[in-house]
Amino acid sequence: MMSNEKKKRAINRLKTMYPLRNLIDEMYQRGVEASKIGKPTAWSMVNWWEADPILKAMDIEIVYPENYGAVCAAFGAAPAYLDRSDSDGFPTHMCGYARNCIGYAARMKDLGEIPPEAPMGGMAKPILLLASGSLCDARYKWFQALGRYLDAPVWTVEIPHPGVEESFREGAYESAINFMVKELGEFVTFLERLLAKKMDWDKLAEITDDIIKINRLWYEINELRKARPCPMHSRDFWSCMNASLYPAGDPKESLKLYQDMYQEVKDRVENKIGAVAEEKYRLAFAELPPWHDLKIFDELAERGWNFVIESWAYHPPKPIDTSQVSNPLERIAKETYQWFTGSFKGALKAKEYMGYFAYPYLEYARDYQCDGALLHPLLTCRTATNHLMLVQDRLLNKLKIPSLVAEGDIVDLKLFDHADTMRKAETLEEMMDHYRGVRREEGLEW
Amino acid sequence: MTEKERKGLDRVREIYQDRAHRAKELKAEGKQVMGYLCLYPVLEMLTAVDLAPYRILGDMEEPITKADACLPTVVCPFIRSALDLGLKGKYDFLDGVVMAHICDVGEKTSHIWRTYLNPSYFYFIDTPHTVHKAAQQQLKEQLKDFKKTLESFTGRELSLDKLKQAIKTYNRQRALVRELYDLRKPDPPLISGAETLQVMVALMSIPVDEGIDLLRQVISEVKEGKNGPPKKPARLLVWGSIIDNTALIRMIEELEANVVIDDTCVGSRAYFPNVELTDDPLDGLVYRYLVGLKCPRTFRESVFGETKKDYIKDLESRFGYIKDYAKEWNVNGVILQSVRYCDIHGYEVPGLRDYLDHIGLPNIYLEHDYSEAALAPLRTRAQAFLEVIG
Amino acid sequence: MTKVVIMGRDEKICARIVGPTGAEHRRLANKVMEEALEQANLSFNEISCVIATGYGRINVPFADRQITELTCHARGVVSLFPKVRIAIDIGGQDAKGLKISNGKLIDFVMNDRCAAGTGRFLEVIAAALGLKLEELGEISLKSTNRVKISSTCTVFAQQEVIQRISEGIPLEDIVAGLHDAIASRVAKMVKRLKIEPDVVFTGGVAKNAGVVHALKENIGGEILVPDEPLLTGAIGAAILGKELTLKAVAKGETIQRKERRLEEATFFNRGN
Ligand code: SF4
Ligand code: SF4
Repeated sequence: MMSNEKKKRAINRLKTMYPLRNLIDEMYQRGVEASKIGKPTAWSMVNWWEADPILKAMDIEIVYPENYGAVCAAFGAAPAYLDRSDSDGFPTHMCGYARNCIGYAARMKDLGEIPPEAPMGGMAKPILLLASGSLCDARYKWFQALGRYLDAPVWTVEIPHPGVEESFREGAYESAINFMVKELGEFVTFLERLLAKKMDWDKLAEITDDIIKINRLWYEINELRKARPCPMHSRDFWSCMNASLYPAGDPKESLKLYQDMYQEVKDRVENKIGAVAEEKYRLAFAELPPWHDLKIFDELAERGWNFVIESWAYHPPKPIDTSQVSNPLERIAKETYQWFTGSFKGALKAKEYMGYFAYPYLEYARDYQCDGALLHPLLTCRTATNHLMLVQDRLLNKLKIPSLVAEGDIVDLKLFDHADTMRKAETLEEMMDHYRGVRREEGLEW
Repeated sequence: MTEKERKGLDRVREIYQDRAHRAKELKAEGKQVMGYLCLYPVLEMLTAVDLAPYRILGDMEEPITKADACLPTVVCPFIRSALDLGLKGKYDFLDGVVMAHICDVGEKTSHIWRTYLNPSYFYFIDTPHTVHKAAQQQLKEQLKDFKKTLESFTGRELSLDKLKQAIKTYNRQRALVRELYDLRKPDPPLISGAETLQVMVALMSIPVDEGIDLLRQVISEVKEGKNGPPKKPARLLVWGSIIDNTALIRMIEELEANVVIDDTCVGSRAYFPNVELTDDPLDGLVYRYLVGLKCPRTFRESVFGETKKDYIKDLESRFGYIKDYAKEWNVNGVILQSVRYCDIHGYEVPGLRDYLDHIGLPNIYLEHDYSEAALAPLRTRAQAFLEVIG
Repeated sequence: MTKVVIMGRDEKICARIVGPTGAEHRRLANKVMEEALEQANLSFNEISCVIATGYGRINVPFADRQITELTCHARGVVSLFPKVRIAIDIGGQDAKGLKISNGKLIDFVMNDRCAAGTGRFLEVIAAALGLKLEELGEISLKSTNRVKISSTCTVFAQQEVIQRISEGIPLEDIVAGLHDAIASRVAKMVKRLKIEPDVVFTGGVAKNAGVVHALKENIGGEILVPDEPLLTGAIGAAILGKELTLKAVAKGETIQRKERRLEEATFFNRGN
């Protein structure tokens, strides 16, 4: 019993995390209910605030099949959907979330309604499939492929992916923003036709503003984590990120709870309270965690491992001032583009050309003074995997930070090997100790 | 120069055996050679500033060793192979590299290439995902910038005249490729699929004007029809991800089939779309490279802004050209093939098969690992498919 | 296994041989053929057509035609069960599903990549359990509470089985679990063909009553099994040979393309 209690306390969770996490769950349930009783529903890819405010302003309920893939995996419903996708001829090497969704849609088509076994209320039949060109091919090809089962139109929102150096060429920024604004304009026109109603621009401006505020605050909270000891563990980040990443429900409610969280984290910083009792090692985590084995972080915390920064793709953009921009579409474009390119300046200086996904970890490692990193490649999510070897190499060779690779998957939860990871952790500890000395010798500040 | 002595298909085979030979020779003569990945870098612009484009391909016969350290094994083996060759120094003769946002892993590989190999010239074209007007404009803005970087790298002007000239030259080459493909319409075809592929690889390894000469020789040689393939019951179309080695096509053609047309990117996909000569030549180029090129990496809707999706219409708009190919080349079966881990082609498979079933064309999907050894098990599938349609 | 069937014009079988295969045996197709000829009491030049099929089909230098096992199996199954729509064949090295319409093969799926969906899976695990392959079927039928084998890979499944034994779970429940694992893998693959009755099950593994039972459950319907499930491919090949010959004769052609000699393969590593 004793040891059990000790385990529970290994990570000092934020008190303000709980209400926020509850709100996230509640908003999810409310959304399911609303779309079940006939509110127009869109299935949407995570789009980094590029389309969400527009959909919300048009009163469309949004469900995220990527997120639902994680739900199905957790409830054990995924294997049946994956089998269906396989037997419909989709190659098995493709994204597990996509195959889950394809199987789900196939079954929904057979039944003509939400499959009764679908966990957490299922996903209602959509009037729109909102694809996104950002970061991953699956995120538009998958929705295109759903045409087999659904008659909903697909719209793909564009976000430019310039190269690091190219993004600083004369006119590149203006052109990128212009492109996004024009496309978003087309998107609004399209939605107006789809729903036979007009956009409420004031409402859009307000929602956009709220979301930016949330992201700003969320950013500031994460900035506070640079303190030693780090006041907030990655687990709290993951528990709360959805209120920013999937801005469901009323953003004002989320904003309020993030404010509380900011206070708590700040207090902790002032009182030098860490998320882990004795912070021996500060670590970064890439990308999605092993959802079903989060307890591994408690075990690691007992060894003094504090996870101080994580998951670049789920972090809000670095702040830029768009308050003077009157067109909400332009504000949206600038913020989302900033999310993608926010680290490019540093990357260019460092001659690191994967300015998103890879370079941010170098920046994090330096700013948050990390001793090591835990990298978690996912078998069927190539997007979260492609860059990790580069990250590992650059962290070690440029910043003398060792890292550990532990493989997993997004739907095949058995793949993550807890025992093996714990074994490797010991070796990483030795390396972290060793590289501390190396960094000092090389004149790095930590 | 001995290779100048060889002509037509002999010369093609020679180039196919040692792709880089000519490029290295040109370099020794003082010409700059520019490598490019996949179909999206605009070749006309390279030629217009007197650079010799050279397509970066993989090598199925070379085991991947160095790329293992920077790309995981669960991604496209073609792109891993190409990067591997780069890391091994096999592309060191290139003066610069142009890459583009083809697929996600292609994009990331571009950045990895630059980070590790740091070529003296590098440009990344961020090809948009859609074909909308705004996307075309966005590509055009990038091409304007691309032009500037080429000029400052070479110290030469990329003039309108030269660009128009280059467009005409490339269109001429494209027309000749079509002419060659036309020679596959008779039964039996006058040239095999494997040989055609060698011609395509050769064209991508030498300057465009030399390619034009070579094509002319090949065409007149093939027209004589002395060594064409025998008549076989199956006339196949091969669709899918990149094929840059003859092994797969050879394996199919050793069976009771001739491959008479392809929809792959070392083939018709690269050469069929022409560039229209517009007042501002960039407009024609943008249209061709974004809208005209039919690679599934680009998202298209059958009607811009449609509010309901009609599945068959959607398939028709995405794959209708395949039906046209099938008719023109009198095809009675389709082999869909893709390297494993290619999402771009993978997601397409059930839809394309639905479409082919809908128009009554028998089809099969083969997945492989981009290695010759791994082709063996595919042989039984391919042969059984031929027995089914035979 | 190497199989030979010699068949007369009336589709009566005059010789049937089932012998072992291996790199060495595969090269010796001529020896097995000689044996079969002896059994049938025929000489080689009395044979009007030789069809080679299966993995070793390219190692039979005296064959007139090579036809894939998919087509041959389909033909063999149709001759035994004219109403068949789906044929499932699980052999030692691969598993396949055939879709048949009006007696003709129209589509197929196959797995030759992963041992877990083939007879090899059972072989490996039977060996680990110290059992004979032939015993598995009967043992599993005694099971009352089948365990679930969750590993999809042969190597892991083997470890899992050993683990279960050490937990004291009855052997029959474990073996039944194994049968279910292989049946569910194969059923999943065959579902791509949209299963319709009649379903016929052939191949070495079809002799295992436990797998037959599990496969029934997994596809949710009846399954027919021929008396000699190992021979369907060879029977099909022989029938196709007969048909080809009759067609050729009718046209006044001969089936033989080259001089045929009963000798061993020279490049025996080609098909391995
Ligand atoms: S591959 Fe990864 S990023 Fe892409 S859709 Fe799937 S889970 Fe999302
Ligand atoms: S084969 Fe597919 S994954 Fe590979 S480079 Fe081409 S589009 Fe990308």
